Amino acid sequence: MKLRLLFLLVAVAAASAAQALVQEDSVIARLEPKKVAHAPAAATLVPLSENWRMDGDIPVHALLISLQGLANRDQPRLYLEYPTHWQWEIVRPLIGFLEKRHGVKFNRLGVNDAETALALYVKHAKGVVVWDGSVRSSLIVAFTVAGVEDLVVITADQLPLAAKHGLPVVVDLRGKFAGKTDAQIYQWAYDQYFERCSRDYYVVMGGHAGAEMQPGVADFGIRQRAFFTDLSSNPKHPEELALLNKILGRQNVPSIVLGWHSYAKDTEGQHTTLVGNYGLIMEGLHNLPNVSFTSQIPLTPDFKFTNNHTVKLGESRAAEKKVYIAAVATDAMGIGTWTKPGRGKIPYTWQVLMNWAWMNPPALQYFYEDKSPNDHFIGGLSGPGYMYPKAIPADKWPALTAVGRDLMKRLDLRILEIMDYSEGNRHVGNTDLPKAVVDRYYDQYPDATGFINGYGSARTFDLRGGRPLLSYDYYLSIERPVEEAAADLEELIQLNPQRPYFLLMHVRESNTVEKVADMLGRLSESVEVVPLDVFLQLAAGAKTYRTYHQQPTDAVDHNP
Amino acid sequence: MRPFRHLLLLFLLVPAAFAADPALAGRWRLDPARSTALDGWTAWDLVITADGSRLSLRHDMQWRYTKVTATNLVDTAAPATVKDFFRVEQRHMALYPAKGGTTTVRATWLDAGRTLRVEADTPIEISQGQANMRLYYEYRLIEGDQSLVLIELHSTRPQPLVYRFTRVTETK
Repeated sequence: MKLRLLFLLVAVAAASAAQALVQEDSVIARLEPKKVAHAPAAATLVPLSENWRMDGDIPVHALLISLQGLANRDQPRLYLEYPTHWQWEIVRPLIGFLEKRHGVKFNRLGVNDAETALALYVKHAKGVVVWDGSVRSSLIVAFTVAGVEDLVVITADQLPLAAKHGLPVVVDLRGKFAGKTDAQIYQWAYDQYFERCSRDYYVVMGGHAGAEMQPGVADFGIRQRAFFTDLSSNPKHPEELALLNKILGRQNVPSIVLGWHSYAKDTEGQHTTLVGNYGLIMEGLHNLPNVSFTSQIPLTPDFKFTNNHTVKLGESRAAEKKVYIAAVATDAMGIGTWTKPGRGKIPYTWQVLMNWAWMNPPALQYFYEDKSPNDHFIGGLSGPGYMYPKAIPADKWPALTAVGRDLMKRLDLRILEIMDYSEGNRHVGNTDLPKAVVDRYYDQYPDATGFINGYGSARTFDLRGGRPLLSYDYYLSIERPVEEAAADLEELIQLNPQRPYFLLMHVRESNTVEKVADMLGRLSESVEVVPLDVFLQLAAGAKTYRTYHQQPTDAVDHNP
Repeated sequence: MRPFRHLLLLFLLVPAAFAADPALAGRWRLDPARSTALDGWTAWDLVITADGSRLSLRHDMQWRYTKVTATNLVDTAAPATVKDFFRVEQRHMALYPAKGGTTTVRATWLDAGRTLRVEADTPIEISQGQANMRLYYEYRLIEGDQSLVLIELHSTRPQPLVYRFTRVTETK
């Protein structure tokens, strides 16, 4: 009997392990847009104007973005060249990359040329959905309708254009939502369309609010037949929150939440926490463009993801009695400073959005091939996508960490960055990790050589089996002048007297490498700027930081 | 002797007069354009009230939706012991008030009551454990008492932090 029981237990354990492995492959397989054999030889490129106002060029942009989602449904055909000041700055360099490395020849149309674009791709649409120019949210509903019904999104003014191309009005939202709240509007959309929408993609079409909208990610959402809203996760809006909970609760676990919270309704912390509660994966950029195009293009056959590892696996290094600094840019691959002067000047670490391995391969290939010898990549943020670990229920971790491990392996990443603003931010509450969460990272990312934590500064530190977990001691905001930032670092160096001192610095978004190099050059005490893998390796051998996990007495603010 | 006696009387009475109705009292709003860059906060009101020799230095801070109010109580008659002494610049650097730590604060009127000097020795939590920081503040009235300049020195920082405030009147 005992032997039989033992056999049963072993069998169950083996099955569980196999299940975990299956899950890891199957999750990405379920989510991943089908790849074409190779990038198209030719594609259409439409430049877009700078005006993203609702009463400006949004109507023509929405038309083109919806057409793009439909035209690119089975093949990449239409690429939109966003304006010079678009937040995702890689949109233009990527054109040259697609031409050079993938052999795509772009046929460039005129700025906002919907007429020609419709002539070329009208066959991919069954008609139009007319949004109500006086109700902003009707455009967000129209994006849902466009994906489900294969319709181009237009305003009343564009009806003649649609008629000219033989597109009938299939859904007309004009007048339907007058005087209704967003909760009522999206409830109507939910009742009408949700069952036919993807359970793997939901789009929060937020970010810019009010008079402006930047729906750069809508083409991909339409392609994936996602449900779109800009519902609030703020408890101050209970009706919107209730509907949002219902929507998120109906999505597959794990699945993707595209876009960004509405700047007018809730906070990043509230939104990311709620998404984490459901074990979903957030890809948080509402104006990330052209993913309906790039998501289908595979890596070139001659390319392999290769990181710059200064430390060999198993190698140990002894720290000297001095100050070591590592600079890490998190948001900066795409919306910050990659293309700005100074990159390559000093060792620098960049957090990679890991899901782009399958969602946006050309973009990641662009970064990996464009890196300098001083650029080092790490995974993040907290896992596959942007997530707060404290907000994710323990039972939802294995599916997410399986994806995270897989992606780190694919992308040649050995260090994982963690951030958690579910109980605070740079101003209130705490940004630390309790021991139970730290345990999970060590257990579920056994191949990671180390972890870093924070966004603003944080206090969580650990060291287990030669694998350190260090938090940021410094946050360099965009506005911080060089002389004040240098004084900040001097102060930290002064207050932390033991040597070696490991000063981990987070460099936010559009701070350039040049600025960081200038700042470091002003320090009185000699410091060594090192790649993050070297930094952690040295920190593993000289524990001058104290072990600390979040304590029950630490301040908590759930809705900063 | 009489003139000296008057002077002595004046010397004794003046601080009390300042404490009763200091010109520093009121709500002051940071002028960011004329101040050292303030990290992490978009707005800062300094609210100063007096009760005898005791002064309340309240900081109304804001960053987007996040609002924080923190008060340091000081006493010009005797050193005070303050729990959770508030420093404005403390979250972009890993320099936290030490848990359970207390800060000794000394406050003095200078310049015939137009300057308040505050000195504090505060324990700071750092990634290597704990350290102490000496802080020196001067709150100086300038420009017809409608402006206030706050100069802040740290024993650990190579340069001062200088913040300029404008008096907030009821109508503002």
